[in-house]
Amino acid sequence: MTSISLNVNGKSHDLEIEDNTLLVTALREHLGLTGTHVGCDTSQCGCCVVRLNGESVKSCTTLAIQAQGCTVLTVEGLSVNGELHPLQKAFKDNHALQCGFCTPGMLMSALDLIDSHVQVLTPELVRHQMEGNLCRCTGYHNIVKAIVQASKCMKSSSLS
Amino acid sequence: MHEVFKSFLDLKLTMYATKYHKANSLEQAFELYKSSQDASFLSGGHTLLPVMKQGLSAPSDLIDLSFIDELKGIEVTPQTVVISSMTRHMEVASNKDVILAVPCLAALAGSIGDRQVRFKGTIGGSLANNDPAADYPAGFLGLGGHVETNLRSIAAEEFFVSMFQTALKPGEIIKRVHFSIAKSAGYAKFRAAAARYSMVGVFVARTELGTRVAVTGAGQSGVYREKSLEAALDQKFDATSLESIQISPQDLIEDMHASSVYRANLIKVLAKHAVLNMGGIVNLK
Amino acid sequence: MIRDDGLVFDQRFSLKDFVFNSIGQSFQRNEDERLITGKGRFTDDFSLPEQTWAWMVRSTHPHARIKSIDTSAAVQMPGVLAVFTGKDCLNDQLNPIEHNPVPSTRYDVKLRGPNDSDIFLGYHHLLPFDKVRHVGQALAMVVARTRNEAFSAAQMVIVQYEELPKVMNSELAIKSDAPIVWDELPSNVLVDATFGDIQATEKAFEAAEHIVRFKSHVSRVTGVTMEPRACLGHYDPKTDRYTLFAGSGGAVRQKSELAKVLGVEADRLRVISHDVGGNFGTRNRAYVEFGLVLWASKKLGFPVKHRADRTESFLSDYQGRDLVTEVQLALNAKGKFLALKVDNLSNVGYCCVSLSPLSKGSGLVTGSYDIASATLRSRAVFTNTMATQAYRSSGRPEVTFAIERVIDRAARALGMDRLELRRLNLVKTHQMPYTNAIGSSYDSGEYEENMNRILELSDWSNLDQRRQEAHARGKLLGVGFANYVESSIGSPKERAEIIVHPTQIEVIIGTQPAGQGHETSFAQVAADLLGVEFNRVFITLGDTDIVTAGGGTHSGRSLRHASAVIALAVEDLRELGVRHAAHFFNCKPEDVLYENGHFKSFTSVKSVSWFDLSIQLANGEGPQSSLKELRVLRDNEMHTPVYPNGACVCEIEIDPETGGVDIKRYSALDDVGRCINPLIVHGQTHGGIAQGVGQALWEECYLDQTSGQPIACSLMDYGMPRFDNLPSFKTEIVEVLSPTNPFGIKAGGEGGTTPALAVVMSAVEDALWPLCGPVNFDLPATPQKIWNALQRGKTH
Repeated sequence: MTSISLNVNGKSHDLEIEDNTLLVTALREHLGLTGTHVGCDTSQCGCCVVRLNGESVKSCTTLAIQAQGCTVLTVEGLSVNGELHPLQKAFKDNHALQCGFCTPGMLMSALDLIDSHVQVLTPELVRHQMEGNLCRCTGYHNIVKAIVQASKCMKSSSLS
Repeated sequence: MHEVFKSFLDLKLTMYATKYHKANSLEQAFELYKSSQDASFLSGGHTLLPVMKQGLSAPSDLIDLSFIDELKGIEVTPQTVVISSMTRHMEVASNKDVILAVPCLAALAGSIGDRQVRFKGTIGGSLANNDPAADYPAGFLGLGGHVETNLRSIAAEEFFVSMFQTALKPGEIIKRVHFSIAKSAGYAKFRAAAARYSMVGVFVARTELGTRVAVTGAGQSGVYREKSLEAALDQKFDATSLESIQISPQDLIEDMHASSVYRANLIKVLAKHAVLNMGGIVNLK
Repeated sequence: MIRDDGLVFDQRFSLKDFVFNSIGQSFQRNEDERLITGKGRFTDDFSLPEQTWAWMVRSTHPHARIKSIDTSAAVQMPGVLAVFTGKDCLNDQLNPIEHNPVPSTRYDVKLRGPNDSDIFLGYHHLLPFDKVRHVGQALAMVVARTRNEAFSAAQMVIVQYEELPKVMNSELAIKSDAPIVWDELPSNVLVDATFGDIQATEKAFEAAEHIVRFKSHVSRVTGVTMEPRACLGHYDPKTDRYTLFAGSGGAVRQKSELAKVLGVEADRLRVISHDVGGNFGTRNRAYVEFGLVLWASKKLGFPVKHRADRTESFLSDYQGRDLVTEVQLALNAKGKFLALKVDNLSNVGYCCVSLSPLSKGSGLVTGSYDIASATLRSRAVFTNTMATQAYRSSGRPEVTFAIERVIDRAARALGMDRLELRRLNLVKTHQMPYTNAIGSSYDSGEYEENMNRILELSDWSNLDQRRQEAHARGKLLGVGFANYVESSIGSPKERAEIIVHPTQIEVIIGTQPAGQGHETSFAQVAADLLGVEFNRVFITLGDTDIVTAGGGTHSGRSLRHASAVIALAVEDLRELGVRHAAHFFNCKPEDVLYENGHFKSFTSVKSVSWFDLSIQLANGEGPQSSLKELRVLRDNEMHTPVYPNGACVCEIEIDPETGGVDIKRYSALDDVGRCINPLIVHGQTHGGIAQGVGQALWEECYLDQTSGQPIACSLMDYGMPRFDNLPSFKTEIVEVLSPTNPFGIKAGGEGGTTPALAVVMSAVEDALWPLCGPVNFDLPATPQKIWNALQRGKTH
């Protein structure tokens, strides 16, 4: 067993994990943050995406021990003081989720995408850069709309 | 409403046990390797960890190279692009100097995997693994150059031995990859629908010593140079000179996704697209 | 486009009494809040104290006798509590799962075994004791303290197999010399029934000027729900009750089936399905792991949990489709369809879990067209493959594929325009309700209008220009067209309970959504029926201790059945409310007037709402002090099917150098009857389209025919619709109200998929025809196959 410390959604945590414990396992089972999901076993579905030190990573393909000393943001940390993040709101407005299983990973991937582009996102760019996230319910159409809408909202509010 | 208990025990997924070490220097990494029973080096982990999760690989020790400072950084000289082994694909793709010197190389890095893979995957990991459908091997063999390890230098021509096999000795660590800057270079790929690796990828470079055409995704021994296309392009560097060339399917991969004949066709088609779009990348749908 | 003729379903019930404030609105969904904040509760999110883990040992052979299973090494492994095999199941007298796969509603096509015999289904034991019949079949279960320990021990289980001859392909399985999957049957054919008027069809064929044939093998695919299946079983000795947490397509059904497996009364089992990460049919039937974890939890005294990896899901989820269809269309010289002969062969896999794909499709072989006579032979066959069952629009995409493709071919054969040929033969609006040659009665629809509108939507008239422009870029443009009609029957029974709480009204219902938005659309219906605001209603589902009966969710049945039974329950509740209001006003019930959620008395200016009455009752001020709440329970049974219908157009560009397909446009028009929530219905259409396109272009449960091994067992080999290989869609909803239920609802969940296979292949053929004639390959239309076809075209 190894001791690690990491900051998750603004809170510090000390965990005892095995070296082969995946980050997603540590989040779901040690910290009870079950919002991050496991959807595949070949690192291809994106359901497990979280933000690690500001970067978008697959938590199923990251060892918890690699997150030692890092800052992690999961879907549970998106809304602040009970207020939905503009991205969450855009997903709700646009019916960008149905069963909701892929949604946490979608939100975290989209957040990274919007934050790393100065300009408002185009549908083409969204479709290209979100290819690592799978959805079986929505056909992606509304998710694209939601992300584009959120990027408009987030860019305009950051300008004002 | 319902008495649902949400207590968790120490639950694991199916990776075998291993011991993780964070290496702070190259020397330490090498020492750790020698003193371990059966260690693997860890960089981005997006090849090694999935394989360990499948139970197909079970190293006793993992030595994480990604914190070693001397393995980070990109340097561009008039003749070379030098990328240190722990440089992530995202970093290469967005590096202004690389974009200026060999735009096609930056674009290649930006086309690997998906966005999350690019935040973690490293050039060192990619080359050391030598996946037969990976992009970097095509770029490296296409441009030419050498790999600088903790023990020696290995030329691109000698580096790739066969599928998943390189000239690296056990414990040998890639420090830097030196790419020779070509007069121009282009890369074209056609991705397999499911895995999204290149079903075939063709890298074309015009160098002082002639044209180099490196093909990934097709050869049974992994990345290789297609001499017939090189000769044709040396005669005349344009798409028409490729038309009469016949690529033999003989040593090409045949699997559920594509026949060797189809791959042979893709090699020609992609070479043509690369030639017509030098300086960039063509990602065919 | 709403026509409201003031439908009357029941003497007391008329839509004219209601004001629609919620119905028809694109309200945002109630379920979203928890799902976008990471507070969804999917099965793997639940854990119980001291829970243990199960790992299944699975067969590596497609067909073999189990000679022995040596668990001696496995039981010694660290953390292991037990290793169970089929013998243990037998010793404990566990019953096989009774799936009741033969659809038995009044209007389902009546399938029968060969020579009109009863259908033999095979036995779905939790663990087999004699043979394994498909690769991936579970034959032992290890239970250990941790999942990793269970996995490690499972590797130590040694199975001795005696390999048997195997058969994977349905056309080989029907042959007389095929290896037999079940010794109880003389062959592998479990269903062989013929429908329609054989004589009339033969006569028509003899007189026909043209006979056009089409044969195809509609591929096998799998659901790939983003949430892999999981279950958690718990036995409480103090109450002698079992609890199962498992995503399902209907907790009530699974409770009843699993109780029978365990040999206990149904009330000894509680099934909880909270959030379900996708269903599409794969979760409609119980899995062996559900029964096994329940049984093991009692034997071991600890909760037992199982979670499938994605690979395990690919291997052992119930799979979909796999139909060989051969169709012959007889036409006269002018292109009028005279008769149709169809031969459908369904591969049910190693045991029969559902015959819905075969039967649902059977009723619709004539599609949207007026064909006077038809004969249909429906067969089902066992093979050494995973069992198949209903998958998104079960059976209808397959038959739509057959009829639409043969019509495309007929148009070419007769030198007619494919749209004109269709128009000539469409069922006309004035013919509704229309009974087709197989006996299905289409309730309503305006098929010609659908065609006109989809052509506008897809900008059909400018195709030539786009074709030329694509050609200039070296691409082959192809456009596909398909009409469709599909059926929604589904389990006929549904139950609703309505409870009026002090500030909210709860509706308990037995459907099981996995993303369809029942918590929203049902609340919209209930809100308008009750005359309250949308946010005053909440829907409860998924826990059989609360939901005591219900039909689950499949076949597009949910909204139609739910709305009808809720409407009836509201009627009952209104009567109850009137009695209580009378007590409150101190007048006779006849003097109480109910309007739009409020009760008034003739004698008083006061009015009370549902909530006022609820509070009054809770305070003990009701007519009977024992009655503390306004609450009703109502059952309903509806057998009459409805027939959603529509049309779609798909425009693609093929790169002749690679065979790669790029979808440029996809337009869909769907008549869903009354649309309760357009936002949700469009979403269903989008997702349905994606699944259909996925099968048409990328997806296949690919089997190596020599070894019998499934090859596409991960996302590395099973291609999926993704952000970058689908376009945005143009979807439009049409509301031709159905006369069969109070709200005129048809269904909106599956119309996206139903024509998708046909329309994509139609587009591929349209693009390739000038260069290589008819498409001679089956789904999926991969670049490799397209390129091969183009090469063949070059040499001819």
